[in-house]
Parts: sequence; C-alpha cells; structure tokens
Amino acid sequence: MIGERMFIKITLLISYILLAVGGLFGLLQLVSRTPGAPKLVDVSQYYAILTGHGVFLAILWTAYFILGLAVFVVSSELGKSFRRSLLASSAVLAILGTVVAAYPIVGGLLIGEPTMGAVLYTFYPPLVAHPAFYIGLALVLIGSWVFAAAVFDVFIRWRMENKGSPIPLGTFGVLATLIIWLEATPGLAIEVIHDLIPMSLFGKRVDPLLDRTLFWYFGHPLVYFWLAPAITAWYALIPRILNTELYSTSAAKLAMVVFILASTPVGLHHQFADPGLSVASKTLHTALTYAVAIGSFLTAFNIVMTLARAGIERGGYGLLGWISKLPWRDPVFSSLTLGFLLLGVGGVGGMVNASLNLNNVVHNTLWIVGHFHTTVGGAVTLTFIGVSYLLAPQLFGRSIAGMVAARIQPYLWFTGLVIFSVAYHIAGILGAPRRVYDYTYGGLAPLSWDPLLQAGMIGGLVFWLSGAIFISNLVLTPLLGKPVARLDGSPMLGGGNNSGRASIYDRLSLWIYIAVILIVLAYTIPVAEIFSRGLVQAVCITPQGIRPFG
Amino acid sequence: MEDPGVRREIIWIISVVALLAVFLGSIAYALSRGYSVASEAEVLPLEKATGLFEPGVKKLGDGRYQVDIVAYIWGFRPSRVELENPREVIIRIYSRDVIHGFQIVGTNVNAMVIPGYITTIVWRPPYNINGTLLTICNEYCGIGHSDMYMEFIIRR
Repeated sequence: MIGERMFIKITLLISYILLAVGGLFGLLQLVSRTPGAPKLVDVSQYYAILTGHGVFLAILWTAYFILGLAVFVVSSELGKSFRRSLLASSAVLAILGTVVAAYPIVGGLLIGEPTMGAVLYTFYPPLVAHPAFYIGLALVLIGSWVFAAAVFDVFIRWRMENKGSPIPLGTFGVLATLIIWLEATPGLAIEVIHDLIPMSLFGKRVDPLLDRTLFWYFGHPLVYFWLAPAITAWYALIPRILNTELYSTSAAKLAMVVFILASTPVGLHHQFADPGLSVASKTLHTALTYAVAIGSFLTAFNIVMTLARAGIERGGYGLLGWISKLPWRDPVFSSLTLGFLLLGVGGVGGMVNASLNLNNVVHNTLWIVGHFHTTVGGAVTLTFIGVSYLLAPQLFGRSIAGMVAARIQPYLWFTGLVIFSVAYHIAGILGAPRRVYDYTYGGLAPLSWDPLLQAGMIGGLVFWLSGAIFISNLVLTPLLGKPVARLDGSPMLGGGNNSGRASIYDRLSLWIYIAVILIVLAYTIPVAEIFSRGLVQAVCITPQGIRPFG
Repeated sequence: MEDPGVRREIIWIISVVALLAVFLGSIAYALSRGYSVASEAEVLPLEKATGLFEPGVKKLGDGRYQVDIVAYIWGFRPSRVELENPREVIIRIYSRDVIHGFQIVGTNVNAMVIPGYITTIVWRPPYNINGTLLTICNEYCGIGHSDMYMEFIIRR
C-alpha cells in the first residue's frame, strides 16, 4: 500500500526514465536518417528505436507524468486521501504492463532481434509484433482505468460533502483529462484485446481498416489527454506565478468542456487518405475537429489576456510593453509560457491537418512529424518540464541543483524545437515522407530535401542537449540541492477560483452524455460502412516480411 | 454584458467561429469543384484477388488512362509507368500483404493502401507537370519500407 507522495515519486521517476531513454532513441534515429550524417543504427534497429521513441515518449512519458501530476493536484485541492489499494493496484498494473511492452523493443535490441517490436507506436495490423507488446499495452490500459477509479472515488466523496460548490480548476482539468481518456480507451482496448493479442498469439485474421479506425478513435483523444493537463497547468500555475487571477475561470472551464465534448468524434481526420470511408463521414469529422479547436482558441485568449494584465500591473505600457515585464528568468514561468507559444504553432498546423483537402499535401510526410513535436514535444513536454522545476523541490525537500542551467534550458528547448519543426514542416510540404530510414530513393529524391533534413537534425540536437541538461539537473537535485521547506501543494495552485457557486460547467455528467451522443453520431456511419462491405481477413506479417502462421 | 472582459471574450469567440466557417467553406468549395480524395472503396477479398486484379496501364482514349498498381513488400508493380499527355488518370492500387501508402512526390496524389480494399484516386495532372516523378510508399510496412518506390513518367 502506498500513499500519495510515494505514488507521485514513483510515477514521476518512471516518467523521467522513459523521457531519458525515449530521448536517446530520438537522437539515434534522427542522426541515422539524416543524409550525410553517420548511420548510427542499422535498418532493423532503426524501426525498433523509432517504435521505442513513440511508445516511450508519446504514450508512456506523458501518461506517467500525468498520473503523478493528477494525484498531486487532486489531493492538494480537495484535501482528501486516495484509497491506497486503488493507487497501489493501478501503479502495479501500469509498471508491469510497461515492462512487458518494453521487452520486445528494448529486449529485442539487446538480444539482436530488433524486429520483435518494430511495428511503430501506431502498430497497424496486419504487421505483427511479439505478443508481449500488445499484452503489455493491455495491462497499462487496465491500470489506467483503475487509476481513473481512484480519482473519481476521491472526487465523489468530496462532492458529497461540497454540494453546490464549483469544482476547483486544477481538479476540473484532471477530471476532464480522465473523462477524455475513458471516452477514448475503449477503442484501443477492443483493437488490442479482441484483435491484436489473438492475432499475435494464434494468427487470428483481422480487418486492417476496422483496426485502423479503432486505433484513431483512440489516437486523437490521446492528443487531448496530453494537452488537457498542460493547459490546466497554465491555467492553475501561471496566475499564481504572476500573483494575479486568471482572466476568466469560466472560459477556462468552457475550454475543458469543449475538449470533453469534441476530442473523440474526430479520429477520421487521421484517415482522410483511407479507402473505404466516405467523403461525407470525413467531412463531418473535419467539422468536429474545427469545433475542438475552439477550446484551444479560448485558451490562447485566456492566457494571453492573463499575461497582458499581469504585465500592465507591473508597469508595462503600450500594445506590447507588457511582454518585457514578465518574469522570463523564472524557469517555471518560461517553460510554461514557451510551451504555450508552441501550442500556437501546433494549433495552426493542426488546422491544416484537419482540412480534408490540404491534408493530401501533408499526409504521412515530415510535416506531421514537425507538427506533433510542437504539440507533444513542445507544448506538453516543455510544460511538464516547467512543472517539474516546481515539483522537484516539493518532493525532495531540496532546491534545484543548477539554477543557471534551469534558466537557460527552456529557451534551448524552444529554439531547438522551432528549428527542427520549421525544417520538417517545409520538408513535408516538399513531399519528404515520415518513418523512413534512408532518403535516397535510388537517387530520385528531390535535392531540396537534404538541407532541410540536416537543419532538422541541428534543431533536434539542440533540444536533445536541452533535455540532457534537464535530466542531469533533476538527478543532481536530491544530491546537491540546498534543503528547503516542503510545502503543501494548495498554495501553489489557484485558490481564488473556489468561491461562489457551481455553474453549468461543473455539471460533468451532462457533458459526458452529450459527448457520448456525439461519438455515436460520428462513428455509426463509418463503422457501418466497414461492416456493410464484409470484413477483410488479413493474415499477419512480421516487419521482416515473414508470415508466422503460414 | 457590461463587463468589458466578457464582451472581449464574446467578440473573440465570434471571430474564431467566423474564421472556422471560412475554412469549412473553402473545403466545401474544393469538394464542389471535383477535388478528389481516396474514399469509396471496392472490397476484393484477399483469397480471391489473384486474377481479379492485375497490374498494368490501360489507355481509355482522349488523354484518359487507367493505371492498376499492386503494392507489395517491398515494391510496386509495375515499377515504371509512362503516360503521354495525360488529362485524367484513374489510379487503382491494391495490397495483398500489409498497409502501404502511395504518394507521387510533388503532387496532391497521396493515399493509403489497405489490404483487401482497392484504393481509387482520380488524378488530373496539372499541365506544368513533366518528366520523372518519384512515387513512394509513405506508410511504414516493414524493414524494407524505404526501398519501396516507383516512377511515374509524364511526357508532354
């Protein structure tokens, strides 16, 4: 049985290990695919490492950090203890699942069988990995559901005693995150448990389009599962750092409600180029994706207005004078705010991806890689780095070991990421594909690709270096940091928004009902289309092109 | 509504919705002008595909062509397609093994190829397109993925 503080320490520790390993994998494949740079890994290792980079960072680093952050926020704001049995069993399931799923990737690399897990983090069947890959993922999923139960258990107990009170903003964000996760994960669970585990164990034949649809039913809300906590951190922490109030608490809750409603019924925008799904369904998902963008636009407004008001209170004048008055030397503030700026870049690019027609230019190109590095690698990761600078002293009772390094590190990350993403966005428009080990194509590749790939590598090296500085700073903090008092979390989070009465935004069950209706509306037609033609019976094939079941 | 903060918020939301409406309108316009994406698909069961889908180029006359391509690990059949002054090209692609992509680099032709489903794309090559076009698989399909490409040659 473990308490909240122990749970937070364990999940954050695992998240940093995953960040370090996933980051190293990123460096290896980045250099290996760049024309003119040394091939650090061979082609089989490349795809194993690319799989590890995606699984460890996009799915697991974010998820473990969010587990720790969620417990910190909810226990600080609601002042209630978690049921320890639920916390402990969710941690055990998640860790066990992670180790099992990592075996085909890391174990495969170590024993010289790198293709065991080389199906990438989208693992589209009928490509097949070692069964442990899918079984591990299923265990992580089940662990995440137990975790959601642990949080809702605390929330419901608080609700019984505080009928009519508004939900504190941080907790509201955590609940929105978990609701999005619970909306999304049934798609992945059905795909993995019904199709992929039997496929890898017994050679079950599957319909690749149906499984792709189930994957992206999960895959897009996954993006909001990362973003909602990052956005919550901006809402809850930026006003505290600036010693002001959030411009509009109701707009913040409205943004979260938009994410609850519209983050799931949009998955077809990853499948605009798929055969077998009608233009009508794809257009509906385009429109719903635009609706979910309203949540991000509201956030942009709310945060910029909060920053501007704080800057003006500090004596900034004129249209832009407030900017220089903000505490840019504070690593928590700079990480959060630079992360927020990167979401702006990612958001505009996302509007392109969501457009049925423009998508044809960028689909499966390096544009997409540039795009999601600004979101999950930029907005989310940089925000979590900023939160870490705040949490580490709380957890260890020590100040950050290297304050100068901490001041520089977010800017280095931001600069590297901008160079990387701009270069990859342009390369994508010029048609350079993603997920490729070698860009020569028998000498037919356009010459314009090479300098962009090389610029991307330089940007990548810069933000990799920044990540290495961050990780070493964290490792040194418990060893070299000066002792500081451990604070309770509540003064760090927005306290001022807990006054007044509950509003319509706090009626979460209402939003969940509407979300379910939207999901049913958006997915009935595409799924019916797939079933109406009769399912395809595809035989699984390994990344080496072998049919293990004949 | 007297609160200037709330008023600014409402102005912002209205502007955002108007912007999104313009974007959606532009997509509707593109679709109304015959913009083509891979969508409707014929299912050709994998066990029956042999003999029913054969790679090759058919000249339909009047600058129209039908190009049938098989995507496989790791290549395309045919690996080279030559077209004289094409006005409209119906490209049909089929895979018997895993998911592939099909992208003619430098054009808007970009579609997924999913085992069992025939991907159909109607391509009207712009007049300035000329010469050899690199055509690649752009979805990971195993360790030979980056060796999987073919050539489209357009002669004017």
